[in-house]
Amino acid sequence: MTWTLPKLVPRSGPVILLILTVGAVAGFAAVGHLVTRYNLNQQARGRKLYAQGLSAATAGNYDAAIEDFRAALTCDPTNSQYQLSLARALRDSNVPQRLEEAESYLVALWQRTPQDAAINLALARVAAHRGSIDDAIRYYHNAMYGVWNSNADSNRNRVRIELIEYLLSRNARAQADSELIALSTSLPRNAEDHLQAGHLFMQAQDYRGALAQFEDVLHLQPGNEEAMLGAGEAAYGFGNYTLAQHYLRSAINVDHEDENARQRLATTDLILKANPFTGYISDAERNRRILADFAQAESRLTDCASHVGVDLKAASGSGPSPLLSLQTRWNTVQPDLKQLSSSAETDLPDTIMDVVFQIEQQTAATCGQPEGIDLALLLISEKREATAQ
Amino acid sequence: MSKAPFIASPSAPAPSPPVRLHLRQRLFSTLEGVFHEEVFFLILSVFIGIFSGLAVVCFRLAIDWTHLALLGPLPQTHSLRLFAVPALAGLVVAALVLHVFPAIRGSGVNQTKSALYIFNGYIPFRTAVGKFICSALAIGSGQSLGPEDPSLQIGASIASALGRQLQISRDRQRLMAPVGAAAGLAAAFNAPISAVLFTIEEVIGRWSAGILGSVVLSAVASVVVVRSFLGSEPLFRIPVTTFKRPSELLAYVVLGIVGGIASVAFAKSIGFLRPRLKALPRWTQYFQPAIAGLLVGLIAFLGAPQVMGAGYDAMDQAMHGQFAWRFLALLALMKIIATTLSFVSGTPGGMFAPTLFIGAMLGGAVGGVEHIFLPHLTGSTGTYVLVGMGVLFAGFLRVPMTSVFMVLEVSGNYEIILPVIVANTVSYLVSRGLQAIPIFDLLTRQDGLILPSLEEEREETILRVEDAMLPASKTILNAQDYVDVSVRRVQDSSDPVFLVRMHPSGWNVIAREQLQRLFREGKGELTLGSVLPAQPLPSLYPDLPLDSALRYVNAYSIVPVVNRADSRRLEGVVTRDSVFQKYGSPAAHD
Repeated sequence: MTWTLPKLVPRSGPVILLILTVGAVAGFAAVGHLVTRYNLNQQARGRKLYAQGLSAATAGNYDAAIEDFRAALTCDPTNSQYQLSLARALRDSNVPQRLEEAESYLVALWQRTPQDAAINLALARVAAHRGSIDDAIRYYHNAMYGVWNSNADSNRNRVRIELIEYLLSRNARAQADSELIALSTSLPRNAEDHLQAGHLFMQAQDYRGALAQFEDVLHLQPGNEEAMLGAGEAAYGFGNYTLAQHYLRSAINVDHEDENARQRLATTDLILKANPFTGYISDAERNRRILADFAQAESRLTDCASHVGVDLKAASGSGPSPLLSLQTRWNTVQPDLKQLSSSAETDLPDTIMDVVFQIEQQTAATCGQPEGIDLALLLISEKREATAQ
Repeated sequence: MSKAPFIASPSAPAPSPPVRLHLRQRLFSTLEGVFHEEVFFLILSVFIGIFSGLAVVCFRLAIDWTHLALLGPLPQTHSLRLFAVPALAGLVVAALVLHVFPAIRGSGVNQTKSALYIFNGYIPFRTAVGKFICSALAIGSGQSLGPEDPSLQIGASIASALGRQLQISRDRQRLMAPVGAAAGLAAAFNAPISAVLFTIEEVIGRWSAGILGSVVLSAVASVVVVRSFLGSEPLFRIPVTTFKRPSELLAYVVLGIVGGIASVAFAKSIGFLRPRLKALPRWTQYFQPAIAGLLVGLIAFLGAPQVMGAGYDAMDQAMHGQFAWRFLALLALMKIIATTLSFVSGTPGGMFAPTLFIGAMLGGAVGGVEHIFLPHLTGSTGTYVLVGMGVLFAGFLRVPMTSVFMVLEVSGNYEIILPVIVANTVSYLVSRGLQAIPIFDLLTRQDGLILPSLEEEREETILRVEDAMLPASKTILNAQDYVDVSVRRVQDSSDPVFLVRMHPSGWNVIAREQLQRLFREGKGELTLGSVLPAQPLPSLYPDLPLDSALRYVNAYSIVPVVNRADSRRLEGVVTRDSVFQKYGSPAAHD
């Protein structure tokens, strides 16, 4: 059996060219129709598989989701949404070998639409998984300044918050601080967002920034207990114990069961009662506090020494334990206590309290974090040092 | 090149009196004037590219559709469909091949080459139809074969049919097949440069400037068509590739050696099994594709469904570190077995994609092992997979240039050019050292055909003019010399003929007897330039192929060989005897 095409072609160049052109156009039309039909069919199949994949991913079944997304991509290989979802599933499946594939999908998408915020965010998360802090910051920034399909402002703040959390988790405090400052200027008047920002400032140990955020929340929602507690903690953090006492008391008034607030308030009360350097107390009260603190320090020193097995009476001054030298200093200063009331010696309160603070700091280092009044004295000493610096 | 119209008129029109032509007639006449054969062939190449591109788009859709319909989007292991589908499809394909399309067995590359060298460019159109249907069914059902070689043959077949319909000259008709082949391959790979190079390296088998333009035009046209329908997405998502230290090239040398050995193993297994299966009784041929399909299905069922079909998805995953090196090595081995089974069973389909697959997996495996022993290596798995793809291409198909450009074109990444060149060259050399005959030549010889190949041509010792060159006579005359002076000068020489340096350039020759006759005739006071014919003697250069001397040595007793920089400087001479002696021909002694 031999097949040959019918020899219908006329023997003239222009006519042949015309026929070939018409044939090519007809071929284009026919194949175009076929490809369109095929693609539509495939897209429908892809959508079905994609929906299955999304369900699986939502349920946390990433292996099944990956299979479905891959199958969806075989139906519609250029679909950016499928590629993005597959990349996310690969990334979230917590299989290190899949991270590279996820990144390659995302990089391919990024090359097509580098301004797409969602793709940049996904890439940032992959870089964060990889531990590449520079890449992560770059992609997070791209996501912040990229194009969002909806809710651009809130999405940008959300991304910045995620970046701050990532930076804090990587101990990149300086970069986190700058992002926090940017965040504080871009937040909408929304209590939830300010509350979250306040907590981030707290994590970054920027207590003043945190206090400002919590106070913003309290302006918007005056009874917000979490903000009161946060404000109290923030004030406590930077040593404004009076303000801390105010907010912590307010928090307890709202929620009587808040044990955390109660403990923090108790320490704050002790600090306010034990601190001889508070400006609004009389000289007599100041002296009384100094004497009480001095006695408390000796008690703490004795307890700590017995705890670690150091005999404070066995020798004096030159022993190997720092506790012994502190005992010596305490003994040296004790005779001067009588001169406190004379008020002629202006440096004496500081000298006495220096001994107290040194004892509290050394015993904290030797015997562990104190509680109660000793904790209060330790915090006062730290604040004094911070102020002096 | 002839400037005659490409189609001879059945009868020459009678000369007509000068009349005022109608505008349309004049335009038509002008167009007719443009359509000389050379120009028309170039235009036709573009149309061949377009039609081949359209056919390949349909072919790819047919494979995808068959695959989805028969196996689903992603074949799962431990599914009975993996056995049933390729086996049943194999039965259908065998029946079609044996009864309807007997010329479509194998990859199609050799058939296209045979068409060029043996059948004057003739490939039946039914070959395109058969190749389309059977390859789509075979590949779509999971046989371990690729769509590129069938695409090449479909393109060649379309071009051949078009040429026949247009009744172009025999020379052009012969070239239609490679032009179509380049278009088909370019469309299948979405890589025009590689397609052009492969057509020259493997199908045409020699560099030919005359056809290069047409091959390029058709390849580009077909790629444009494919991209307009299927998009310009590359075959793979290319991973981040790294090559930082030149010392790491040694790691790629190892990959080249392993690739070369694997290429030989692959080629030898096909070369060994194919003639034995063909020699079995005819009735077994009904079952050979089915049994091959069953065995491929078994491999897939046991945990490696990646070996089914062309395997581009698996290559893509390998590039992105989805498989451990042990599994990659296993996949390479299984693909060699699966492709050998599918191919030797006579199932129509190509070996390009399986070759890329095996190379990619082998590359990934070698890279993985090297990373265990040399953890400081910077090349990622994706880099080794990409380089490995070219390694098998160079070693198995023996197309070193195509392999390099193919990897570069497919990856669009020139950062890895050094590893690719090094690994491919090593693989090519190892393969050539271990197996003298390239796979396509081996297959044609098994079919009883001997076709030329570029590799043979490269290795052929070329005889040059300098090899047959004799020292020139010490006596060289000048055009200004007088005849009587010349007679005296040649008296001491025993040579029968003497070269004459003409003025201002060129050479001539004069025999001793002719010189003496002129002297006797009283022409002693004439210069040689005035008595010798104006037509100068042809001259040769020492580096020219000796073949070029053949056209002169019968007509002239002596042919001067001159320096290229100074044509008046004589390097030597060639004679009929010296040339034929070099060829070792008895004609030298006639």
